Amino acid sequence: MRYGHKYVFLLPGLLVLIAILIFPVIFTVRLSLSGWNSYNPGLDFVGIKNYVRLFTSDPRFWEAFSRLAFFSLTTVFLQYILGFGLALLVWRDVLFKRFFRVLFLIPMMTTPVIMTVIWKTVFHESLGPVNDFLSMFGLTPLWLSDPMLSKVTVIIVEVWQWTPFMFLLLLAGLLSLPKEAFLAASIDGAGPLRKFIYVTFPLMAPISIGAIIIRLIEASKIMDTIYVLTSGGPGTSTETTSFYIFIKGLREFQMGYSAAMSFTYLIVMILSLTVIVNILIRVFIGRND
Amino acid sequence: MARIDLEGVQHSYGNVEALEKFDLTWNDGGRYAILGPSGCGKTTMLNIMSGIIKPTQGRILFDGNDITNLQTADRNIAQVFQFPVIYGTMRVWDNLAFPLVCRNVPSDQIKTKVEEVANTLSLTHLLDRKANKLTADQKQLISLGRGLVRDDVAAVLMDEPLTVIDPDLKFRLRRKLKEINEQYRTTLIYVTHDQNEAMTFAEQIMVMDKGRIVQMGTPGELFDRPSTTFVGYFIGAPAMNVFPATVKQDHQLDVAGTAIDVEPNLQGAASETLKLGIRAEHISLQDDPKSNDNCLPFHVDRIDDFGNYKLVVGKASGQITKVKVDRNQPIASGEMFMTFKAKNCCVYANDRLISTS
Repeated sequence: MRYGHKYVFLLPGLLVLIAILIFPVIFTVRLSLSGWNSYNPGLDFVGIKNYVRLFTSDPRFWEAFSRLAFFSLTTVFLQYILGFGLALLVWRDVLFKRFFRVLFLIPMMTTPVIMTVIWKTVFHESLGPVNDFLSMFGLTPLWLSDPMLSKVTVIIVEVWQWTPFMFLLLLAGLLSLPKEAFLAASIDGAGPLRKFIYVTFPLMAPISIGAIIIRLIEASKIMDTIYVLTSGGPGTSTETTSFYIFIKGLREFQMGYSAAMSFTYLIVMILSLTVIVNILIRVFIGRND
Repeated sequence: MARIDLEGVQHSYGNVEALEKFDLTWNDGGRYAILGPSGCGKTTMLNIMSGIIKPTQGRILFDGNDITNLQTADRNIAQVFQFPVIYGTMRVWDNLAFPLVCRNVPSDQIKTKVEEVANTLSLTHLLDRKANKLTADQKQLISLGRGLVRDDVAAVLMDEPLTVIDPDLKFRLRRKLKEINEQYRTTLIYVTHDQNEAMTFAEQIMVMDKGRIVQMGTPGELFDRPSTTFVGYFIGAPAMNVFPATVKQDHQLDVAGTAIDVEPNLQGAASETLKLGIRAEHISLQDDPKSNDNCLPFHVDRIDDFGNYKLVVGKASGQITKVKVDRNQPIASGEMFMTFKAKNCCVYANDRLISTS
C-alpha cells in the first residue's frame, strides 16, 4: 500500500495552520528585525536594534508588563473566589436554581466594549450615579482620573465582566463530581466545612487549574476595557502591554519596534504561564512525591 | 454492631416500583450477599439501609430503634462504594482517622484504633504515604478501613466493592473481608451481580429479581434447592437444566413419555405447569440405558473442555441440556443416556419449587 495520498487530506489543515499561525509568527520575528515605520515602510534589516532599545531604554514597556501582571493576577484571583462562591451557592438544590444560574451568566452575554462604555458612565466623576450616591456622604472619588483608583475601577469592571465565565466552568466542574465522595464524607461524619476542604476542593483542583489558566491567558489580553475606560490613563497608570504595543504599532506605526515587543511579550508569557501552572499544581494538588 | 430489621419496606421511583413490599432481618455479625441481575433492586435495597434513599413505605430498625427518618450521617453504618473513595490530599493514616476525628474522639484512642485497623488490613507500611498514590485495591481497603475504625458501626454495606480490582487481588480481598468479619463480628452486607463472588463470600445469600426477594439461603441451599427456576438459572454455572413435565403418579413425573421418579408428592399439582430441574453436576452420562436411577436419552452436540471438567452440551427430550463430566470419561458422539437420582430432582409448579416434605 502506498500512503502518499494521505498528504492530500492533511494539506487543507496544514495550509490553514501555516496561514494563521506559523506564517504570522515567522513574519513577526522578521518584522522585529526591521526598522519598518511610517517614514520608511519596508522589510529592511537592522539587526537586533529594536530589541536593544526595548531592553535598555524603554522602561514604559516593562512598567506596562508589571501592571499587566498585577491586573491579571488580581482580577483572576477575585474571579476565582467569587465564581467558586456563586457556583457553590447554586450547585445544590436551592430555590430558583435555574433562574440564578442564568442570572449569574448575564454579564458574559453582554458585549464587553458596550458594557465598558456603560461602566464609564456609571463611574463618571461628576455625572455618574456612583458619585451621585457617594456625594450624599460627602465623597466624590476620582474613579477614572486618580492613578490608584483608576486601577481599582479597571479591576471592578473586569471582575464583573468575567466572573460568570469562571462561575460557568466551576459549576460544570461541581456538577460532574462523583456523588459517592460526598456520601462517604457524610457517612464519616464530616460537616460542610470539612467536606469542602477535604472533598470538594481537592476534587475541583484539576478544573480549578484549568479555569484559572484559561482566565489568565484571556486576562493578559486585556485591551478593550482599558481602551474604552481609561485609554491607559491617567498618564500611564492603567496602561498594559497589549495597549502599549497597540499605541506603538497602530497609532505611531513603529511596526518593527512593536513586532519586537510582541515577540518579547509572547516569550515572556509562555515562560511565566509555565511557571504559574507549576505553582498552581503545587498549590492545588501538592508536591508530587 | 446491630440487628437490622426492615419492616414492610417498599420503594418506587415515580411510577416504577423498584422494590416490592418485604420484611427482612439481617442478624448481628452475619455475612450476607445480595445477588441479582442488573436492575433487580439490590442497590436500592442497600441505599435504603444506608439512608441515601428514603423508602416509599415501611420502617427500618437498628436494634429495635426506628431510624427510617435519620440522615445517612446519623445512622451508624459504613458504606464501601464501587469506586474507592479516599481523601486524596491526606495521608493513609489521616484517611483512616478521619471518621474518628470528625466525631471528636480523643487522639490516643484514634491512634490505637487506626494502628489496629491498619494492621488488620495490612496497610501499616503505607500509613505515611499520600492516599492518592496507592493502587485501586489499597484505596478500596482504606474505604473499608474507614468503616472499621468506628466501634459504633451497625453494618458495613458494600456495593460491588471489588468491581475495579484485578482478579487475583479480588480473591485476596475477599479472604480479607471474611477474616475481618470473623475478627470484628461486623455485619457485612455485600451487593454483587457475580454469583461466584457471592457464593465464596457470604454465609447467607439473598437472590433478588425484578424488585422481589426470591430466595435467601446458604450457598449450598441455593445450589441444591433453588426455590424458583430463576434461581436455578441464575445460580450455578452452567445454569440448571429445566424440562417441561406432567404428573404421572404421586411421586413420578412424565418427561416426554419417560417416567421420572421424584421425591415431592405431586398430588394436586396436576393442573399446573410443571417443570423438572436438574443440575449439570448431578447428571452422569453412559452408553446404555441400564440404571436404577432416572434415565433419559441424550443426544451429544458439543463437548467443551474446561481443563478440570468437560461440559457436554446436547439435547434430551428436545431441550438443550448441559452435563458436567469428568475430563477423563470418554464421550461418544451421538446418542447416549443421561441418568440422575430422584433426590437431586427439583420439581417446579408455575416456576416455584414444590417442597419435598
